[in-house]
Amino acid sequence: MSNMPWAVAAIASVALAAGTAVFVEAEVRSAGQRLTHPEKEAATAEPAAAVADHTEAPYCTPQFKGVLKRVLDACGLVGGEERRGCQPADVKTFAEISDDDFVALFAPLAERGAIVMFNDNSDALDDGAKKLIEERWGDRKGARYFFVVARASKTGGADANRALSHKRANSVMFHLQEATKDPDLDKQVGMLWLGSEFAQLPKEYCDKWTNSRQGKPCNSEAVNRSAFVSWVDCRL
Amino acid sequence: MARRPRLPGALGVAASALGLFFAGFSTHDYAEHLDRQLHGAHCSFIPGLVDVEKGESGCKVAMYSPYSALFRDRMWGGIPISLFALGVYGLFLALSIYLLLAGDRASKRSWQAFGATALTPLLVSFVMFFLAATRLGHFCKLCIGLYVASAILAAAGVLALLKAGGTAGAATSSATDKTSSDVDATQRDSKLPWGLRPKKGDTVTGDGNATNTRAKPAVASDIPSGSFIVFPALLAALAAFALAPAGVYAAALPDYKQYLRSCGTVVEATEKHGALVKIPTTNPKQAALTFEDPLCPTCKAFHQRLVDEGLYDKLDLTVAVFPLDSECNWMLDKPLHPGACVLAKAFLCGDKSNKARIVLEWAYDNQDELREAGKAGIDQIRAKVKNRFPDLDACIDSKETKQRLDRVLQFAVTNKVRVSTPQLFLGDTRVCDEDTDLGLRYAFAQLAPQVKP
Repeated sequence: MSNMPWAVAAIASVALAAGTAVFVEAEVRSAGQRLTHPEKEAATAEPAAAVADHTEAPYCTPQFKGVLKRVLDACGLVGGEERRGCQPADVKTFAEISDDDFVALFAPLAERGAIVMFNDNSDALDDGAKKLIEERWGDRKGARYFFVVARASKTGGADANRALSHKRANSVMFHLQEATKDPDLDKQVGMLWLGSEFAQLPKEYCDKWTNSRQGKPCNSEAVNRSAFVSWVDCRL
Repeated sequence: MARRPRLPGALGVAASALGLFFAGFSTHDYAEHLDRQLHGAHCSFIPGLVDVEKGESGCKVAMYSPYSALFRDRMWGGIPISLFALGVYGLFLALSIYLLLAGDRASKRSWQAFGATALTPLLVSFVMFFLAATRLGHFCKLCIGLYVASAILAAAGVLALLKAGGTAGAATSSATDKTSSDVDATQRDSKLPWGLRPKKGDTVTGDGNATNTRAKPAVASDIPSGSFIVFPALLAALAAFALAPAGVYAAALPDYKQYLRSCGTVVEATEKHGALVKIPTTNPKQAALTFEDPLCPTCKAFHQRLVDEGLYDKLDLTVAVFPLDSECNWMLDKPLHPGACVLAKAFLCGDKSNKARIVLEWAYDNQDELREAGKAGIDQIRAKVKNRFPDLDACIDSKETKQRLDRVLQFAVTNKVRVSTPQLFLGDTRVCDEDTDLGLRYAFAQLAPQVKP
């Protein structure tokens, strides 16, 4: 009987040591099983965080994206091709774009875009135009694409207008290059230069859109001596 | 009749059971995280009866701190110190049971050895309490439970030391029972004159003389002294019990190396316009990139961990400030941390005067207050920033700062990072979120061995 306390304590200590070891081993083994078979945990796991991406605005409907993609494909902004910009012929051939498509493409951009106006037969940007281009570029936040769509009015010949339209688009692009010094500008800016034969803007654009000559007369001819600039916050 | 009190044994049993209880829950919480998933913690004085707490808590802060485990650079998560407590309290439970059952049959040395070793958990508790108070600023409830257990055990130990030789009062009566006969009525009828007759309480010596023993301490001569070897033996047992669970734990740990590089790489390590902020550090050895939100509590804890572990100043650190606030971050539908955009801009502005780190750490230090201000409105958080950094005020509103922040966010898009903070890249390798807390030291040891804490 005198050894009874020792015996009890010895049994208790062995039992506690063994119990502790079993407990610890079971805890670690269980975690190891969850580690190697995470699918069992997936049902109870918290949802994974989203991946950082460009803005996706509500106007980016499937139809809108369809038009956008056709233009982007044709203009070299998708697929990393070297070409930059589209002529009307390109647009007609590759993008198969119509006047309706243009309405679909630009109508929802009234709050984002602006119209840079030029003097007759000129591709020079005035101070108001430069300021507006920089503002719009600076406001694009997470938008993936920035569009420059240059136009020429119906005054003059088709070839001359097409060349003038091209120069106006380039003027905007050159100014962006100078102002932003962004080496990746080509991957973000899509240019279209449209001659007088293509998709003339109606006069309503004078009222609905911000232009670079606020307070000055605007008519259907003036609004088409222009370059339309806008960011497009859609993901493709 | 027992001459030693049962209190030390009883207290020891209670304290050890309490210690096992809290150490067991603490170990369970720690081991749960070995699956690299997010788990809560039993941050309660009555663990098991209340749900685990999710998110940041005092227990999480303690768990993720460098003081919660040993050998973290060698094993993922290291060896949690609760394991040592688990083993030690197991031994003390067995010892306490022995003291309780053995009573006077236990040797004096065994009581003394118990008493002396029972103080050791309290010493450890003092150290941990000090670290929690001075380094962490948080007390975890499970830890407090262990502090209380160690204090009760220490009380049991002190009692055991004091009563190792027997209780004075009890020993007196008991001793007189055995060494000599108490004066009874018969003895009082001796032929001695009245004045010389023994009174009750006096003992009668062999020659019939009476001596008074009431005030004299008795020597518990029947309590075995025992051997001094019990001291080293108990210390050895203590070491063995403390280390055994740790050994089992280490042997059972899975191999984590395969998981360390499974969370992707950075596509472009630099932002072409210099929008990211370089943080000057004292001893940069490893290129690192972090995505941080000044109002994100996890970022604050992560920042603190890097500093506490001695890692921060060894990083050649670039910070991409990534506010989870829809006011400037288009990747969110609603603000997760309202007001974070203001602080992000202040951080970028601080870069110009080389005090971006000061701005960031100020935001972390005052995060609770700033989060409340952010919820109350941008003006309030703006006022706090202006009050602390008046020289940055104009810069925060500037177009350049807005564009710089956009570029930082576009950098995040380019790299397809997750819309969450914090994120750490060591070189090109993204450190998994799971490796930024318990596995931080191990991840650094494997991915950036030149950065030794």
